[in-house]
Amino acid sequence: MRHVFETMGTVASIELPTGWGPALVMPVFAAIDERFSLYRPDSELSRIADGRASLTTSSDTMRASYARAVDWRALTGGLFSPHRPDGVLDLNGIVKAEAIEQAGVLLDATGCPTWSINVGGDILVSGGPWPTGVVDPSDPTALLCSVLLGDPRRALATSGSAQRGDHIWLGGSRALAEFVQVSVAANDIVTADVLATAIIAGGRDALDDITDRWDVDVFAVDRSGALAATPGFRRALVGA
Amino acid sequence: MRTRAVLGSLFASTAVLVVGWQAGGAVLANQAIGTTTSAPQASGTSGTTAATVPSATPLPSATATAAPVAAGPADGTYTGSSVNTPFGSVQVAVTLSGGTITDVTAVHLTDADGRSRQISNYAAPMLRSEVLSSQSAHVSNVGGATYTTRGYLQSVQSALDQAGF
Amino acid sequence: MPQRFSTLPRVNHKRTYARRARRADLLVMLLWTSGAAAAALFLASGGAAQFTTPAAIMTSLGIITGLIGTDFILVMLVLAARIPAIDRAIGHDRAIAVHRSLGKPALYLILAHGALLLIGYGMSTGFNPIAEIGPMLALPDMPIAFVGTGLLIAVVVTSLVAVRRKFSYEGWHLVHLLSYIAVAFALPHQLSVGGILADGTVQRAYWIALYLIAFGSIAIFRFIEPTISSLRHRITVSGVTTVAPGVTSIHFAGKNLRSLGASGGQFFIWRFWTKRTWWHSHPISLSAMPTSTSARITVRDLGRGSARISAVPVGTKVSIEGPYGLFSDAARTAPKLAIIAAGIGVTPIRAFLEHARFAPGEATILLRASTEEETYHWDEIRDIAAAKGALCYVMIGHRSPVGAGWMSESDVRRGVTLAAAFPDLARSDVYLCGPTAWLDLVEKDVRATRIPAHQIHAERFDW
Repeated sequence: MRHVFETMGTVASIELPTGWGPALVMPVFAAIDERFSLYRPDSELSRIADGRASLTTSSDTMRASYARAVDWRALTGGLFSPHRPDGVLDLNGIVKAEAIEQAGVLLDATGCPTWSINVGGDILVSGGPWPTGVVDPSDPTALLCSVLLGDPRRALATSGSAQRGDHIWLGGSRALAEFVQVSVAANDIVTADVLATAIIAGGRDALDDITDRWDVDVFAVDRSGALAATPGFRRALVGA
Repeated sequence: MRTRAVLGSLFASTAVLVVGWQAGGAVLANQAIGTTTSAPQASGTSGTTAATVPSATPLPSATATAAPVAAGPADGTYTGSSVNTPFGSVQVAVTLSGGTITDVTAVHLTDADGRSRQISNYAAPMLRSEVLSSQSAHVSNVGGATYTTRGYLQSVQSALDQAGF
Repeated sequence: MPQRFSTLPRVNHKRTYARRARRADLLVMLLWTSGAAAAALFLASGGAAQFTTPAAIMTSLGIITGLIGTDFILVMLVLAARIPAIDRAIGHDRAIAVHRSLGKPALYLILAHGALLLIGYGMSTGFNPIAEIGPMLALPDMPIAFVGTGLLIAVVVTSLVAVRRKFSYEGWHLVHLLSYIAVAFALPHQLSVGGILADGTVQRAYWIALYLIAFGSIAIFRFIEPTISSLRHRITVSGVTTVAPGVTSIHFAGKNLRSLGASGGQFFIWRFWTKRTWWHSHPISLSAMPTSTSARITVRDLGRGSARISAVPVGTKVSIEGPYGLFSDAARTAPKLAIIAAGIGVTPIRAFLEHARFAPGEATILLRASTEEETYHWDEIRDIAAAKGALCYVMIGHRSPVGAGWMSESDVRRGVTLAAAFPDLARSDVYLCGPTAWLDLVEKDVRATRIPAHQIHAERFDW
């Protein structure tokens, strides 16, 4: 059954088997949203961002997310960063994926056999295979293609500059992004999300570097509308 | 109400709640483990196993050449085995003096440009006609560049949700 | 030398009471523990991991209050299902009293459930809780859950005594039946949004069991078993006789009535199948022990309902539920018996004396009436008392404005006291039966002697 609710400034669509409800996972999103959102002036992150609180004395949860983001900054050579170019701490790039990840862990822990979580276009599934569409960046009402998600390729994250580019800062520069949309399929949602962001920020070089170093499948759309895909992504295409 | 019933109820209820909380704590622990295992990891160059060493600690277990004795390892420099990290393979030397580590040095670090590119996972150009057949498939979800709450209403996902998928 | 009287087997009332008290205590413990279990199962299924932020704590508490509230409502259904084991342990009256006392807490828990979730979601999105109602209603099955809550409010409000007096019994009963619909309306959101029936969890097993027990016992003990019993015993009205002005005995004929297993002092719920009376059932005590082919009740024309049943024609088919109640020999706790009954309240006492086993000299009876005309069945009671060796006092006259207030004025002036009539009160089971206002005074007088509460058995007769 499909459950839809608003969280983190976007909409979560959760598919659960009959008899399962979203009440268990809704607080996961609510709690993370409350702590990390920058559009809520009293969130912990807002207070750190504007200097009212210090990161060093912040909650364990906050520092764990920050540490994870810093790890990813190192791994991606700075393409992914917990800071905006203006220096403000912004963990948006990682906490949504972390929320999805935690909700998934919780569902698995309670024995839910098959589920999918889609928060604002980032998707994590269990069981399956789940046919999953990738939206066309030039036409938000159309699909570009569809792929099958399922163990072990459970996560699909998409970053783009088309609709809401505001949380991707181009490696400190303000150059136009090479790709307008990058989808990364990975075994976990944080990796997928971070690497999609990094490829958008780093362009073709980052794409080649990342597909080389990580076990991920990538599907990218560049500014001219041309497509590129790794072999794994081609194999996952519905009907391929 | 009888005292025995009251005390019994209190005891039984408390016991049940404590057991429930403990059992829930076990789930919490699982959750923590789950978070840890999906920490940043990369595949490395040659299909490293899932238990990749986290990047923050590229410190391999030292393969000591001297047999460890009860008094502790002897002073000297120990060289670890090579491990794959996201930056390439790393080998670390540890210098021990008086039982404490005095120095850790990376003795081998593959240069970022020196790696051989894995052609097998190269994202190659693709024609739109190649994905055409998969466009019309019935999907359960739509991945896409993040939409806002307002943007959701115009999204394909919204249509799917309204159809109850 | 052979004994001339057949000796009664000695009954150790203390021991049987201890056994019954254990069962009653176990029942109370089960009742409260089930509420705790509802919360614990949620905590165990991942709920404990939710106590992280203020908003999440609110939300989790909201879920817990909803679960406990639901648990209480199901427990209320179990208590109202007239399960024989529960009736034997604590009696139907006390089961209903507990049922009633849970009504308001259950409603408050359900209301807190809604409020806490709205606040929790409100805190987590930064909007005010009221603004969360819209999104919440958009979740599947939530609209009917809101309707269910509304129905629950209606049920509890109409059940509050003040309102109940303004309502007719029938109207109240009809509204009360809405509680089943309220529970049914709440169920879908528990499954879909709450996920309490998630596959493979202990929670699933627990809630399925609880729903099955609640609705199963209602179905079995309130519908199936009474229907079978009514069909088997084929009870009809065989005669209506006037005992005194406004008081009638209704005689029944039937098959194998002794196998109903009724004890003296217990009541049945009677339904008379005439066009005017079939929709209303009457809880009325037996006024004599059934023989295998006949039974009798005695009623006073207090309400409209009982007036109508005293006018039912001979041959009317009757369906029954019962026997119920612990106002019987089964409730004994002490070696002696003290019985005080007034007005129409003597009827269950009449059957009780006929059925109860007690040794000569063990029982003392005080019958009370305002006027000579209200001495219903006193002759029968005196006959039984004489035959079984019980002492029987009578007291006629209006209530005294001085003294304890439940005796007649002339007896108070004579210096009669509770202790004078019942010197062994401290070692007695006290059975009281009569109109509420009068009985409250007697009970107060009895309690003033500081005898243990479990030795007092009171049955209030208001209609």
